[in-house]
Amino acid sequence: MDIRSESGGGHHDAGAVHLPAPTAWPMVLALGMALIMTGLVTNGVIGLLGLLLTVLGSVGWFRQVLPVEQHEAVAMQAEQIQIYSTRVSVDRLAIAPSHRKILPIEVFHITTGLKGGIAGGIAMTVPAAIFSLIKYHSIWYAMNLLAAGGFVSWAGASNAFLAQFHPEGLLAGLAIHIVASLLVGLLYGAVLPMFPWKPILTAGFLAPLVWTGLLYSTLNIVSPILDERIDWFWFIMSQVAFGLVAGFVINLQAKVRTAQFQALPFAVRAGLHSDATLKTEERDTPQ
Amino acid sequence: MATQTPVSPVADRTTALRPSGRMLEVLHEWVTTVDHKKIGLMYIAYALVFMLIAGVQALLMRIQLAVPNNHFVSPQEFNRLFTMHGTTMVFFVGMPILFGFGNYLVPLMIGARDMAFPRLNAFSFWIAGFGGLLLYFSYFAGSGLYAAGTAPDVGWFAYAPLTARAFSPGHSTDYWTLGVLLSGIGTIGTALNIVTTTICMRCPGMKMSRMPLLVWLYFVTCCMVFVAVSPLTAAQIMLMIDRYLGGHFFDTQAGGSAVLWMHFFWIFGHPEVYILVLPAFGFANEIIPVFSRKAIFGYPAMVGATVGIGFISLSVWAHHMFSVGLGPGANAFFTFATMVISVPTGIKIFNWLATLWGGNIHFTTSMMFAVGFLFQFLIAGLTGIMLSVAPFDWQLTGSYFVVAHFHYVLVGAILFMIFSAFYYWFPKMSGRVLVEKLGKWHFWLFLIGFHLTFDFMHIPGMLGMPRRIYTYEADRGWAMWNMIISSGAVLQAIAILIFVYNMVWSYFKGPVAGPDPWDAWTLEWTTTSPPPAYNFAVLPTVESRRPLWDLKHPEDPDSNYE
Amino acid sequence: MSTAAIVPHGTSEEWKLPSRGIVGMACLIAAESAVFIIFVVAYIYYLGKSLSGPSPHDVLELPILTTICLLSSSITVHFAVAALRKGKTSMCSLWLAATVLLGSIFLAGTGHEWYQLIYRDGLTIRTNLFGTTFYSLVGLHASHVIVGLVLLALALVFSLSGKVTEEHAERLEVLSLYWHFVDAVWVVVFTVVYVLGR
Repeated sequence: MDIRSESGGGHHDAGAVHLPAPTAWPMVLALGMALIMTGLVTNGVIGLLGLLLTVLGSVGWFRQVLPVEQHEAVAMQAEQIQIYSTRVSVDRLAIAPSHRKILPIEVFHITTGLKGGIAGGIAMTVPAAIFSLIKYHSIWYAMNLLAAGGFVSWAGASNAFLAQFHPEGLLAGLAIHIVASLLVGLLYGAVLPMFPWKPILTAGFLAPLVWTGLLYSTLNIVSPILDERIDWFWFIMSQVAFGLVAGFVINLQAKVRTAQFQALPFAVRAGLHSDATLKTEERDTPQ
Repeated sequence: MATQTPVSPVADRTTALRPSGRMLEVLHEWVTTVDHKKIGLMYIAYALVFMLIAGVQALLMRIQLAVPNNHFVSPQEFNRLFTMHGTTMVFFVGMPILFGFGNYLVPLMIGARDMAFPRLNAFSFWIAGFGGLLLYFSYFAGSGLYAAGTAPDVGWFAYAPLTARAFSPGHSTDYWTLGVLLSGIGTIGTALNIVTTTICMRCPGMKMSRMPLLVWLYFVTCCMVFVAVSPLTAAQIMLMIDRYLGGHFFDTQAGGSAVLWMHFFWIFGHPEVYILVLPAFGFANEIIPVFSRKAIFGYPAMVGATVGIGFISLSVWAHHMFSVGLGPGANAFFTFATMVISVPTGIKIFNWLATLWGGNIHFTTSMMFAVGFLFQFLIAGLTGIMLSVAPFDWQLTGSYFVVAHFHYVLVGAILFMIFSAFYYWFPKMSGRVLVEKLGKWHFWLFLIGFHLTFDFMHIPGMLGMPRRIYTYEADRGWAMWNMIISSGAVLQAIAILIFVYNMVWSYFKGPVAGPDPWDAWTLEWTTTSPPPAYNFAVLPTVESRRPLWDLKHPEDPDSNYE
Repeated sequence: MSTAAIVPHGTSEEWKLPSRGIVGMACLIAAESAVFIIFVVAYIYYLGKSLSGPSPHDVLELPILTTICLLSSSITVHFAVAALRKGKTSMCSLWLAATVLLGSIFLAGTGHEWYQLIYRDGLTIRTNLFGTTFYSLVGLHASHVIVGLVLLALALVFSLSGKVTEEHAERLEVLSLYWHFVDAVWVVVFTVVYVLGR
């Protein structure tokens, strides 16, 4: 109904503030509507009275806001408000530098992780292909093994079957491989800036081991056929290949600044102090 | 630092009036007001009156249940008592008192002169107020279940088909429907107003990321009102169509479904719990930091958790309906969703604890209630997780265990935080501080009474005492527990009387508060107590989440760190 | 330091907040949507659950003409706001009149449909579950159309008497938002009641 007046609910000029004028019409409208309801449970006459009040209230309210909203000027009293604190000392919680949370000031852009995932995914096929050739003399074996998780009918397939080329195996294997590579690539892009020391090496070795451990315990649920025939040495080798290549590719890309960077002191942002990490440790809100 | 307000050239036109004329003048002023502070105060006063009424109803029920085979009230009267107690406490105490504080505080905290729609604000208050009066008018004009009664007696969730004309003749159920419908219209109006105010009326520099957490919580609460209270309004319209026009929505004889009413009611009913509790969280977010003398811990996490609670709470309603037999899929989903909601709630509790941690804690009465809230809310949450497990719920639903659980939330958490808010903001509203000594009496008596009542209420529930029974036999083993519960209720009543006395006494004789008695950090403390009609002579400009900290410590403002 | 209880505003960035009217109307639409969702859910839930006839398939006809009228009135009200924004008040009146006319045709169509249903097919709100849910859902929508039409007619009257000027464009836009909402609800009601539910 009332749509516009000056911002802040009122404007002021020369010692008076204009506020919306008091009015009883909203109350009359509310009373009217309540009486209509009361009419339903008591007597129609009361409902009629309610209807009358509702119409009156609506018209009255309408005239309050249209064509112009009615205001009244409220005089401002001269007053002095002291804003001060009775407490004079501000105590900072002593936090050792080692207690500081390490937030990345810069992170990789989201596409960086995807690029790393693609590169890592390609690199991963090399150890997998070597494993297939050495053990089963077929380049398709590892691929079919991966795809087998998607086909229930392949559950009892022989090694010879898995060594052959199957177009649906190629499609399923590629799909699983691409999705997994991209997702893990994204994860790398997100976590890599947080590794404190030689991110490519630590991430490249540590993450594959953690990932392998996770798979080792759950693989018999996800894909029993893979679980039966997997060779964990070669599996870890291909994971490490992925980790190193993905980490390397990601690290080549430029970083973007996070909101955390905005909070740094100006001098650091402007590049006057190069040691950003030191400055973030000093920076501490009075908690 | 000081505020200099220009001296007014507008002459004071008030002339001396006779006392009766003065009374009329004051009455006229309050009836026609569109000022958010006055409307907020009217909301609070109205809620307090209804709280006393519903409290008396609770006391009557506890007297009836204190000893076995009691005949203090009749079974019919008992049905009316628990129906009116529940309906009043939820719709005419909980919602108005929280909206009262919201009305009063939100514009002040965001540096605005009024709400976005001041006339709609007045309308919302009055229609909710008339809704409450209409509900209580049924005591004089309704005719109830056994053609002899008066007030509604179908329980506060009014399950179908009990509400059908055949089972509830007369108008008592209509009074319930219409009263709640009217209050629902007012609720939606006020929620709309608070959301619009929050979005459109913030003072310069008050970005969403700098708003006081209380304003954030009210914002989320009011957004929830749109999607939670509207379904109740719709369901009430359906019930009216059934009862007045002969429709068949909930008429099982014509193929209608009683379970559909349960769904519609609880789609409202469960978010409603969060609508009531989120403003209480908002009070805690303002009070705990000030009396810990520390900034709130984890502001973004608090906002995120609030929004998370808002969304998740919309998908948990059917945990009130496990005993209907929804099937394993639905049971599993609602059990899971109910458990998930404890995650954002847990985040909040940890953030409050972290705010207290290492702080310079001041145990004013307000802070004592806030600390009580923390512990009691934790326990209420834990019994909530117990009840979220469908098999456990099958055993205990409809028993006093459930009654104890939700009273732990509503009294132990929400009411404690409301008391805390009274002690904290009463100086702003009245210009005088509530007397601390009486406040301590109030706190300790209420705390002991609360624990006597609601801790021990879990036990008869587990022993199999159903809710809503009018009396019980002596050999059930419930007698001692019920006696303890009822004696706790008496203690709580005494504490409330002390509180009422404290408010009246302090209003006239309490210590003068000054603009900023607690050395706090949000904008409402920059203006006088009580604030003038225009709130701020000059609209403030803020640069951080704690504008008053910046003023008090200009050498080291918060804005350097955010 | 005795100047102001305000922190000096460091940056001179523009402080601009959304319009109250539009945010308020968006909130109202959110709340109303929830009401309609409940009614639509009840309609779908009770589809085919009536214990006696008539069924939707027997009695409902596609109200294509009135639907076209209602939906096109959304376009005309949009043009009315656009005209007012440019200060062309007489064009605004014309478009408003078209809107009111199209809305009235829709309402008349609904009235005719109900008349037929009640007196030809004997379907009332008491007949069966279909009657109850149909009349309440369509009736709820029709009551919103009536409210919208009354407000639009008021705007038209004021516009014809020359009291509507360019500065009222925002208020008219708020009203048009409501009207668009009413139309959008009809799309849902039409799909559920007349297309899927028949």
